[in-house]
Amino acid sequence: MIAAAARESRVVASLGRRALSVQFRRAQLLMPTFVLPLMLLAVISSGTSAGRDLEAFPETSSYLGFVVAGTLLQGALLAGLTAGIALASDIEGGFFDRMLAAPVRRSSLVLGRLAGTLGLAVLQMAWFLLVALLFGASYPGGVLGALGAAALAAITAVGIGGLACAIAIRTGSMNLMQSIFPFVFVLLFTAPAFFPRDLLTPTLHDLAAYNPLTYVVEGARGLLQDDATLGDPLLGTVAALGLAAFATALAVLALRDRARRT
Amino acid sequence: MSTRTNSPAGSVAWAFWLRSLNEVTRVRGALIGTSIAPLVFLLGTSGQFGRLVGLPGFPTESYLSWVVPLCCLQGAGFAGAAAGANLARDNEQGWFDRLLVAPVARPLLILGPVLGAITRAMVPVTIVLVVGVAIGAELTGGVLGVLVLYLASAGFCAVAAMWGIAMAVHFRTQQAGPLMQMGVFLGVFLSTAYTPQPLLEGWLEDVARINPVSHVLELGRQATVSGIDLSLAHTWPGLAALAGMIAAFGALALVGLRRMGR
Repeated sequence: MIAAAARESRVVASLGRRALSVQFRRAQLLMPTFVLPLMLLAVISSGTSAGRDLEAFPETSSYLGFVVAGTLLQGALLAGLTAGIALASDIEGGFFDRMLAAPVRRSSLVLGRLAGTLGLAVLQMAWFLLVALLFGASYPGGVLGALGAAALAAITAVGIGGLACAIAIRTGSMNLMQSIFPFVFVLLFTAPAFFPRDLLTPTLHDLAAYNPLTYVVEGARGLLQDDATLGDPLLGTVAALGLAAFATALAVLALRDRARRT
Repeated sequence: MSTRTNSPAGSVAWAFWLRSLNEVTRVRGALIGTSIAPLVFLLGTSGQFGRLVGLPGFPTESYLSWVVPLCCLQGAGFAGAAAGANLARDNEQGWFDRLLVAPVARPLLILGPVLGAITRAMVPVTIVLVVGVAIGAELTGGVLGVLVLYLASAGFCAVAAMWGIAMAVHFRTQQAGPLMQMGVFLGVFLSTAYTPQPLLEGWLEDVARINPVSHVLELGRQATVSGIDLSLAHTWPGLAALAGMIAAFGALALVGLRRMGR
């Protein structure tokens, strides 16, 4: 039993390493995940910083430090989506079918891909927090707060990666995966990613309560700013872990279904 | 190489234009991404930052009215950049080499895809405008204002298409696609995208002032923003900015095209 678990964990680690190395070999996949969120952060932090003068805007040490939680969330969404695109590319290229014929557990194929997503997300989050810090963001939560926020976002990336992998396995189409890119932003914009929940328009405010990413971004913000009124880290952790578990199960089920069909 | 030929320019441009439009009918979902992305952005941005209209000096009471022209330009810009990606694909597949030896004037090789992009861009622009008005944006400029908004969108699409084509003939690979889109993204968002010039802070205040796209946005906003009324003072800077950018990026594309033929 233990030997089998150790063997599968080696498979997961190998597949995770492969997923990461493929990602770093294709610059066009890295560009959106590492650069786009920072560009949006730069534009939003400068373009909407006048919003601090609104009455209901909470007291924060720096506006950039407040908005960067939304950047972590955006990074998580993009890291997850690229996992699905890369998996669809493996399916189209025939590599995935060869993996299906290998003597390993089906769930390890999904977990391996998601391990790569987790690794990528950790790098991404460290990069975002560091760049924002260099440009004037402050994190009153200190190193522990920053680590906690990064961990929350990285687990969320695994959840989004699981959803993207489930779609990729069901459709096997890279084109389709690329065209769902705009829909990822629906998840981002229906959470209080860049503005406090109380300042969202009434419809969005009500909708945000049903989006698990709301609790993730608020939890990350609470950790970074060391202010529980901005968000509850525990709720954020529950939302991130719940999403990751649900999405991983969905991807494994999709894989089992695909294996039965092929 | 001389650009004088015996081929009738009108019919050649017409044929290239029709070929560019084939993209819509032959590639399934070709318009989905370019149409959905600005719509998601419209709904998301107005929901997130809608309360910014409460700031003193904001020229309208409806944030939707403020962002509808932005999203029209965004949709048109991405449709334009796609012309560059399509040309890069034609180049990779060898089709463009055949066009280069055809007895047609070189500028016509660009004109067709640009006209095709402008035609395609009208789909996302119309969708954004119709949805925006349906959910509360005001058409303060009336019919003339709407025509001006379409003119601004078509002009910006031409700018983006020429930028994309310049990148395509320079790099000659589809991998330059993110660069084409990034150019449009930067052009649109490093402007008065979220808030008017007096409310911008930091580095973006200076960048938005010198960014010609700010003037194009002002041109388009005559349709929906009550504080930017229809007038020559708001029209000419935008038209001049469009003419300047079309001349600059058109020249860049033509120079690249001439280099390709050598």
